[in-house]
Amino acid sequence: MAGRPGTNQTSYSPSLKTQKGRPPIFKDGDTDWVRPDGRGFHQCRPAFIRTGAVNAASGSAYAEFGNTKVIVSVFGPRESKKAMMYSDIGRLNCNVSYTTFATPVRSQGSDHKEFSSMLHKALEGAVILETFPKTTVDVFALVLESGGSDLPVVISCASLALADAGILMYDLVASVSLSCLGKNLVIDPILEEESYQDGSLMVTFMPSRYEVTQLTVTGEWSTPKINEGMQLCLDACSKLAKIMRSCLKEATTTSQE
Amino acid sequence: MGLLDASGDLSSEIEVDAFRCLFPLRFYERHLAESIWPDGSPLGRARETSIAPGAVASADGSALAKIGSTVTVDFHMPPICSPIVRPGRPAEAAPVFSKQLSDTISSSGMINLKELSLVSGKAAWMAYLDIYCLDADGALFDAALLSAIAAFSHLQIPAVSLNDDDPTAEEETIMETVVTVVLDSSSQLISLYKPGGAVLASTSAVQDCIALTRQRVRELLKILDEANSSMEVD
Repeated sequence: MAGRPGTNQTSYSPSLKTQKGRPPIFKDGDTDWVRPDGRGFHQCRPAFIRTGAVNAASGSAYAEFGNTKVIVSVFGPRESKKAMMYSDIGRLNCNVSYTTFATPVRSQGSDHKEFSSMLHKALEGAVILETFPKTTVDVFALVLESGGSDLPVVISCASLALADAGILMYDLVASVSLSCLGKNLVIDPILEEESYQDGSLMVTFMPSRYEVTQLTVTGEWSTPKINEGMQLCLDACSKLAKIMRSCLKEATTTSQE
Repeated sequence: MGLLDASGDLSSEIEVDAFRCLFPLRFYERHLAESIWPDGSPLGRARETSIAPGAVASADGSALAKIGSTVTVDFHMPPICSPIVRPGRPAEAAPVFSKQLSDTISSSGMINLKELSLVSGKAAWMAYLDIYCLDADGALFDAALLSAIAAFSHLQIPAVSLNDDDPTAEEETIMETVVTVVLDSSSQLISLYKPGGAVLASTSAVQDCIALTRQRVRELLKILDEANSSMEVD
């Protein structure tokens, strides 16, 4: 988070000059800059989504957005752990983990606790917990390859898996993130763009109800910029939700045949 | 649904499903007596197998180390693969499969460790093989070994094949014991594994397993070749 230099003489803020200069991948006013994968600034990656990926689970979904590949399984509603107290509404348990080969350099591949918590917050506003009291619904996500915008893809895929499992929700949840690179707003960033971003905005949205379940902002944003960013994200979320809906419809018609 | 369902109406189907849940052993025994599986396929046939090499673009990392060339095999069972695996409580079977795979790969000699050496005695590559089970429906070792070979297959190594008659997870819960036979592409025996259990494996049973494995080797070699040649065309 960038500080504001020279606002108050007795407070300390990081001086912008001492920050390590990273050569920007574009010039500030350069509008001819092209994204590494050739997309427009306001163009999302094509989405490949399928439900029913895992037979062992109650519901599952697989999503591929460019090089970001995610698989989500939903188990439940099933018995809560014996140590849990009685609850007359259901519980949602979320877990996001990465494979060791998801990142370009092999990592330990453990659970991503921050993403697990964010996934939970994004979904809990949409799931009707009253419909499965005393029990737990487990949502497990595995990121097979990290190509940028990992968490939004995980959230959208998880919402699809919940629908595949027949868990009642107020609406499908679609999620999209936006990066601020200098003066430009770039939607659905890839890994390289995320590493150069000055700020980011992630929106999780229920389009039919026009309600935002989660909003995450990092970096420095002016009000008009945030408004522009939000509008871009909401439009993208609505389009993504339409694709998710048609995927679910296709899955039900093929299973009826 | 095999031999039990003659009329095909809804009430008899519910009875069959209930019978399958309540008396799984008798359900399977009645099918095996007629030499078929519940889905109607004959006993010698394994389930549909396919390979898709190069699925993950980021996975070609390797590390330089001064401790000699090694291949580290890790079999992971993430929570997505089965309702019995929870985060924080890893599956008991995972390290067993890791060890089994590691032993099979080293005893088959399919990887020439000398090829991994860079400067003899000073520097060598370490190869990490990570296998993730995405959907646990039985025959995990078989699928894991096949995927390991497909991943290494661009290194011109002899293919290794394995046991017949892949059981499903449901069948594995009522199995009393298992015999795993590993043969290489010239049908030489690489390993034979029978981990105890309440039932003895007679000579004829073991010979039957080996014969079925030989047949499976031929099928899998064909599938591997097709997958590799389609990769080269791309």
